[in-house]
Amino acid sequence: MAQATEKATGTTASWDGEGRVKVVGILCNWCSYAGADGAGTARLRQPFDFRIVRVPCTGRIDPLHILKAFEKGADGVLVSGCHPGDCHYAEGNYYARRKLELLERMLPQLGFEPERFKYTWVSASEAQRWQQVVTEFIKGVEKLGPREGRAL
Amino acid sequence: MSPANGNYKAVEQRIRELARTALEEGRVDYFIGWTAGYNESEVIPGFVRSADKVDDLVWNPLAAYNLTTFLKRKMPDPPQAKIGLAVKGCDSRTLVSLLQEELVDRERLYVVGVPCEGIVNRRAISKMFANEVVKIEVEGDTITVTNQDGETKQLAREEYLLDHCRSCKYPNPRYFDDLAGEAVTEPEDQTPMWREIEEFEALPEKEKDRLMAEAFEKCIRCYACINACPVCYCWDNCVCRSRQPKLVGQKVNAQENLMFQMVHMFHVAGRCPSCGNCDRACPVEIPLYLLHRKMNKELKEMLDFEPGIDLEQKPVFQTFDVNDPFGQH
Repeated sequence: MAQATEKATGTTASWDGEGRVKVVGILCNWCSYAGADGAGTARLRQPFDFRIVRVPCTGRIDPLHILKAFEKGADGVLVSGCHPGDCHYAEGNYYARRKLELLERMLPQLGFEPERFKYTWVSASEAQRWQQVVTEFIKGVEKLGPREGRAL
Repeated sequence: MSPANGNYKAVEQRIRELARTALEEGRVDYFIGWTAGYNESEVIPGFVRSADKVDDLVWNPLAAYNLTTFLKRKMPDPPQAKIGLAVKGCDSRTLVSLLQEELVDRERLYVVGVPCEGIVNRRAISKMFANEVVKIEVEGDTITVTNQDGETKQLAREEYLLDHCRSCKYPNPRYFDDLAGEAVTEPEDQTPMWREIEEFEALPEKEKDRLMAEAFEKCIRCYACINACPVCYCWDNCVCRSRQPKLVGQKVNAQENLMFQMVHMFHVAGRCPSCGNCDRACPVEIPLYLLHRKMNKELKEMLDFEPGIDLEQKPVFQTFDVNDPFGQH
């Protein structure tokens, strides 16, 4: 797949990851999804072992969706939305922040390494930042490798 | 926890008087309190419907059951009934949580607060005997236990209290109309104790994973924990039994069971004060406190929030603060 991307884009700049982990990204429609789209349009080098779920707002995300992704075999989950204060629906991400913070703090109790989950804010204009966030996150997950013999 | 005054009888008398007056004056249609079980080792919930039955009510350190659980069905039976209810410290916090979200009607409630000095861990005691325990008596600092064969044992009360009673910060009810007996001294040290949680936290991830899998393997999905939980109230609409969306499957294995328990935990987050009713209801003794007490520990650290303390407070996940000290970037 890496080679195919190289061919298609005509660049040698491809992702150097190993591609053996499954990472789910849950992105808000208005900021982070547009930011990721922007990164693609600008042909920034990005990991390919990443599956994006687009949601209307991070406020829509139930922490259980993230747990379900893990249960179904995800090795890492990255949630990203508008910066606090910039929510398209004014306050959705403030509610999300409380829920996601609680989830982040609960995951180690279930035997998850903290690197497997992250929530962050990326705006539509921050393609560079998106590239950096997603690359760092996936590198962290790749270091740990796929999850094995897990309780959830 | 302060040493026992041992005036259980006086408090019991007071509960009976308050219940009798309320029933006679027609302020309540029935009173929910604790009554004797089928032997003297057990106290069970009891519904008293007439003033001449109030002497069935008891109060002693075996009254573990959180009676607020009976209110969460949005108070039916019949729909306009006025209900009297006895609550301990932790029970009252679950009641406050329900009141905060306007899930029960304050006007139709009459609450008798019972200052509590700790509840005895009946399960731990009955495990010490090969056959049935028939009597548990608490006097001062000693528990006297008698089994079927008349064999007796004396135990130190302090060692056989429920875990969360030993670290209880709120032995007096936070919400009541009348208090039965004098308020007990609240512990001076108001910092919460999370000893068991901290021990578990210190384990390496792999070990936690293994222990969780081991604990939740045992779950038979009887739903006793959510039925006994006073603040888990979706009933027929519970997402655990829904096919669409399908968060939890019908398979019974460690993963699905843990997922089910996480649904419970996240849905009661901000309401659950860890009263321990689910722990006690679990027939296979899954350490559920590892989840809900950890959750309360984290809420305390995140937002300096403790569930069910203040009636005027908004439920913590139904509101937000622009300056929440996390997730700023």
